[in-house]
Amino acid sequence: MALRTAVLRHLRVPVTGSNQSQIGFLGSIRAFSSHDDHLSKQEVVDRVLDVVKCFPKVDPAKVTPDVHFQKDLGLDSLDTVEIVMAIEEEFKLEIPDKEAEKVDSCPLAIEYVFNHPMSS
Amino acid sequence: MSGVSSAAYFARRAAQKEKVRILYRRALKDTLNWAVHRHIFYRDASDLREKFNANQDVEDVDRIDKLIAHGEAEYDKWRHPDPYIVPWAPGGSKFCRNPTPPAGIEIVYNYGQEDNP
Repeated sequence: MALRTAVLRHLRVPVTGSNQSQIGFLGSIRAFSSHDDHLSKQEVVDRVLDVVKCFPKVDPAKVTPDVHFQKDLGLDSLDTVEIVMAIEEEFKLEIPDKEAEKVDSCPLAIEYVFNHPMSS
Repeated sequence: MSGVSSAAYFARRAAQKEKVRILYRRALKDTLNWAVHRHIFYRDASDLREKFNANQDVEDVDRIDKLIAHGEAEYDKWRHPDPYIVPWAPGGSKFCRNPTPPAGIEIVYNYGQEDNP
């Protein structure tokens, strides 16, 4: 039995560590995971601008990626709350209350959505 | 003296504004929980907005405090028992479901059979 394993160990070529470095890299990608749809920045910008343009109190021609909701678009603070909620619904996010207070303008909203790991 | 009091006044007003915003946010989400169909939700949301706008220009700080307390009591009364929470958020169904394994853990694919590779 020991002779057999010794002979086999000589005959068979052992798998070396060259594959393991690849598996170490691929280990960060999980098969059948639903976390793999990370959005591109341009897509995030387009969708956020669409959401803001569809808001009834907003003039669509004035919306650019760097407007401030209250200063440039002339909205109320409650309107900002509504826009943040619409963005939450669009990207299936859940923004905590403290963070939602700080999102005051388009570039902040775009940055928040882009950096959020679960936006889809 | 008046400088200190006006700073305190503005700080109090700012805190009240923040409370109002948070209350409006929660009330709007609650309205969405109760009124799932969008046409009903839009009607209820505009009613809520009217209620908030009616008290928009009140300047007396104590009256604002009472209005906020009244609003929060209303919100507590109308809270939905089964609110919609995004699945991966705390309280949702997918929260902590598949945490990422700690780094450095590997799977040994031929455990117990290292003798015959």
